[in-house]
Amino acid sequence: MLAPRQPEPSHRPLIAVAAATVATATGLGWLLQRAWNPKGDVNHRAAQALGAGAAILCISVALDSAIEHYRGQFKDRAMFVGPTMALLGLGAATYIAFRPEHANDRLPKIALFTVGATGLIGLAFHSYNILKRPGELSALNLFYGAPAGAPAALTLAGLYGVIAGEMLSGRDNVSTRLPKHTAALIAFSLMGTVAEAGFLHFRGAFQDPAMYAPVTIPPLAALSIGAAALTPRAAAFAEPLLKATAVLGIAGPIFHAYGIHRNMGGWHNWTQMILQGPPLPAPPAFLGIAAAGLGILPALQEAGE
Amino acid sequence: MSEFKTPFLTYDVLDKWDTPSWNDQTRAAVRQRLDDEPPRRFLSEEQWSLLEAIAARLMPQPEREEPVPIVPWIDDMLHRNAGPGYRYADMPPMREAWHQGLDAIAAEARNRHGKCFEELSPGDQDALLGDVQHNRVESRYWRDLPAGGFFLHLLLKQVVGIYYSHPAAWSEIGFGGPASPRGYARLGFDERDPWEAEEFDFEAEHA
Amino acid sequence: MLEVAEPRAVAGRAPDVFREGKWVPMRTYDDNEEVDFAIVGTGAGGGTLACKLAEAGFSVIAFDAGPFWRPLEDFVSDERDQGGLYWTDERITGGADPIELGSNNSGRGVGGSTVHYTMIALRWRPEWFQCRSKLGYGRDWPISFDELEPFYEEAEEALKISGPISYPWSRRRKRYPYRAHPVNAAGLVLARGCEAIGVQWSPLPLATLSAPRGMAHPCVYRGFCAYGCSTNAKQSVLVTFIPRALNAGAEVRDLAMVGKIEMGKDGKATGLTYHRGGAWRRQKAKHVVVAGYAIETPRLLLNSKCDQFRDGLANENGLVGTHLMTHSGPGVWGIMDEEVRCYKAPPCMAVTEHWNYDDSDKKDFRGGYAFMSQGPLPVGWAEAQAINRGMWGMKLRQEMTRYNHVAGLRIVGETEPQRHNRVEVADEKDQYGLPIPRVTFSYSENDRRLIEHSKGSMRAVLEGAGAKELWTDHDTSHLMGGCRMGDDPDDSVVDRDGRSWSIPNLWVCDGSLFPTSGGVNPSLTIQALACRMGDRISGMAKRGEL
Repeated sequence: MLAPRQPEPSHRPLIAVAAATVATATGLGWLLQRAWNPKGDVNHRAAQALGAGAAILCISVALDSAIEHYRGQFKDRAMFVGPTMALLGLGAATYIAFRPEHANDRLPKIALFTVGATGLIGLAFHSYNILKRPGELSALNLFYGAPAGAPAALTLAGLYGVIAGEMLSGRDNVSTRLPKHTAALIAFSLMGTVAEAGFLHFRGAFQDPAMYAPVTIPPLAALSIGAAALTPRAAAFAEPLLKATAVLGIAGPIFHAYGIHRNMGGWHNWTQMILQGPPLPAPPAFLGIAAAGLGILPALQEAGE
Repeated sequence: MSEFKTPFLTYDVLDKWDTPSWNDQTRAAVRQRLDDEPPRRFLSEEQWSLLEAIAARLMPQPEREEPVPIVPWIDDMLHRNAGPGYRYADMPPMREAWHQGLDAIAAEARNRHGKCFEELSPGDQDALLGDVQHNRVESRYWRDLPAGGFFLHLLLKQVVGIYYSHPAAWSEIGFGGPASPRGYARLGFDERDPWEAEEFDFEAEHA
Repeated sequence: MLEVAEPRAVAGRAPDVFREGKWVPMRTYDDNEEVDFAIVGTGAGGGTLACKLAEAGFSVIAFDAGPFWRPLEDFVSDERDQGGLYWTDERITGGADPIELGSNNSGRGVGGSTVHYTMIALRWRPEWFQCRSKLGYGRDWPISFDELEPFYEEAEEALKISGPISYPWSRRRKRYPYRAHPVNAAGLVLARGCEAIGVQWSPLPLATLSAPRGMAHPCVYRGFCAYGCSTNAKQSVLVTFIPRALNAGAEVRDLAMVGKIEMGKDGKATGLTYHRGGAWRRQKAKHVVVAGYAIETPRLLLNSKCDQFRDGLANENGLVGTHLMTHSGPGVWGIMDEEVRCYKAPPCMAVTEHWNYDDSDKKDFRGGYAFMSQGPLPVGWAEAQAINRGMWGMKLRQEMTRYNHVAGLRIVGETEPQRHNRVEVADEKDQYGLPIPRVTFSYSENDRRLIEHSKGSMRAVLEGAGAKELWTDHDTSHLMGGCRMGDDPDDSVVDRDGRSWSIPNLWVCDGSLFPTSGGVNPSLTIQALACRMGDRISGMAKRGEL
């Protein structure tokens, strides 16, 4: 049986996408290095990274839920809650990222706890939304109904923030299991996000080979940081894989922008394709989780020693 | 019923002319429909004026100063002999059927009222057209042409089809209209893209 | 108006369907060059077979009476403008239940009716291939589901069908190449209604992309699918098999009306006569394949009569043109409280095949039907109300303002093959001077019982979904039969490979092969048959049986 031949679109835009990714990732990496507080112990560094990760997750959720709930015409007042809580989480997490010494303060902790709890309620709402559609728990409704992953990301952001506080609670984390548990949580976060990206890329029939990237690199990163929770030596493998995952989180929106360009009318038709094309704000979730993971590695290694 | 009410009070599909919902080729096709009204080339002057009167009853547009033109496009279709690709075995060829059918309606009017169809009251016109639709006609005027078949499959189908291919008709029924390259993102119950018609509820307004 | 006056596929190039104003190279043959296959028609049958044969290394010319469309430029978002997509040459339709032709079932142009079909890609119920021996009605096909299954799969892959993960009916199958589309509100009405009365439903497998494919864009849900697709999401033959055929060295001759198959003294076809660029020409060919669909295929065979074959070609038993079938298509319509806006997305997105697979004695008829959600556009909808409800005047105008709340269902209903339902040629001539076809069709008693039964089912589903003010209309869709295939030369026109019993180098490859009509849309089965024929012919050539 002969493979169907169809003319392929020019690869030049894809080369531009790759170049833009490298440039953006380098720029962001350099900025983060500069902004990073080099002082402080491993706990501070972990708290800061967890805060930054939570903030990035919140940006992703805020934009994604704002766009998706706009598609849903904010039919239910409750649809304002998602983006609002994501903004609250963004504020609190950013505060922690810049002032990690305040991570254990009461206010940011309460804020992030609330954000996390809202994520769970959102998850319940979204599940209900899926189950009430004709066909109930079917692939079709999972493809096109309210996504379970989005509110879950809010819960993760909340958890990261709360853990950041715990890191600075004054206990000797090196002797507790907190870094290990956090590493396991990061692994779980990555796998959840991989599941969501994989499912949605499956909906897109993996029509572009680049769509396999988020289901190959992040699972390896999840595996390695999961292993690092058990034996800290694995952290050596986790670092480059988490960095690669972070680059994916930066590359994602650029690839998705190219995806919108591939749709009918391209960016000229953005009013439709921002909703129907690949979601621009979703991939940075990988960046957020990877950033948190990278931050916890030193504490993990120290605990191992 | 003589008054017309549309629940799409604020919608005009032509407002989308310059948006991604319309592309150049669609603009060209619709522009031709709006601007290039074809001249009379097939029907006689009498048949043309009779058909104008009939079309005004089949698709009345009392609220419009300039009604959506219908007869010029029927004449154009007949001039080009652009049929639908079939004719029923009991019908003569399309062009003959139109001549025969219009002349028969004119004859029915003269026979019943002693006047031409255009001079009848709207009520009498409707009654006569209803009789044609239900084959209550004088067979000597119609000969081999089935009156009801002519009325439904040629006359009414054409009038209605031409009316509902006009943007004014799309607007009054809340149809999205041309949609390329931009189609629609929201597909579910009670879901509307910002570039679709908003429906107003009369009863709720009055209450 | 969509009109193309001059052939486009000339001088060694053909339109590039994926790029505006661009061309692709095309191999061209001289009229006197005896090609391996001359194929009449480029639709689901002819276009698919042209690709298969060209890829197998045969020299192929495919003729189409209509133009070679450029989807990105020719296909306008307008119902009236797109009238040029249809076969509008004069035909006479009669019988007790005359079939509406033209836009209803007859395409004209490269890609044939697949250019304006609603993309429904369903397989046949496996038992239908042996419906006489397994279900006790109709007649058996000369091939089985098992023989055709790999070719269903091939066609589905070639069209990147977007379908559900699991389809509730038929046998277990390989996963569809692309995922199902979101179901629009019109489809959700069917879903809701089916769930209310406890009947299974499914999103429809559709030949329109749910993700990009090469240069083709995914569907944007513009809703003008019964006309040309300006997005190239619709996987018509025009944008799938034809580009492959050209790539493999086939020539496509557009605006080329074939008037006659030429016969040699040895009783074999020698080529054909066609009208192109204002003149009649002759093309030599070793084999002729007729793929003009269920009316033009018998018409060409009948119009090709000569001294040796006085009743037309392949017509020794008088069966050419007989046993013509359509699908009955009563529809039930109602008004929903919610806005449905059925103009959005493909017109048919959800289906129930319950009554195709239900063999219980609750059915008072033989055969089956499926029904789909519907999405008429304003002109079609207004005409349907005018003709079926006799509505006009202000009443119709006012009724039309409820268009956005309309929901409807329509069946694809099996009809029985009957000898007196047929295509003949009339004395009247068309613009080429060729006798025009006369089509006669009447439902059988069983067909009528099926129609009545389906109306009850559709009413129950619509009421279950909450629709009010229900009313019923009648329509038909698709054409099948006219040159049926079989294992008995006395009882069929062609054999199981589409090869004429009496003229060994004359073949038929389209919907006219169908011995029975089934209760689903025929295009995928036509394409599977064409894929199978392509493989069979290659095999025969290797064995020296051609």
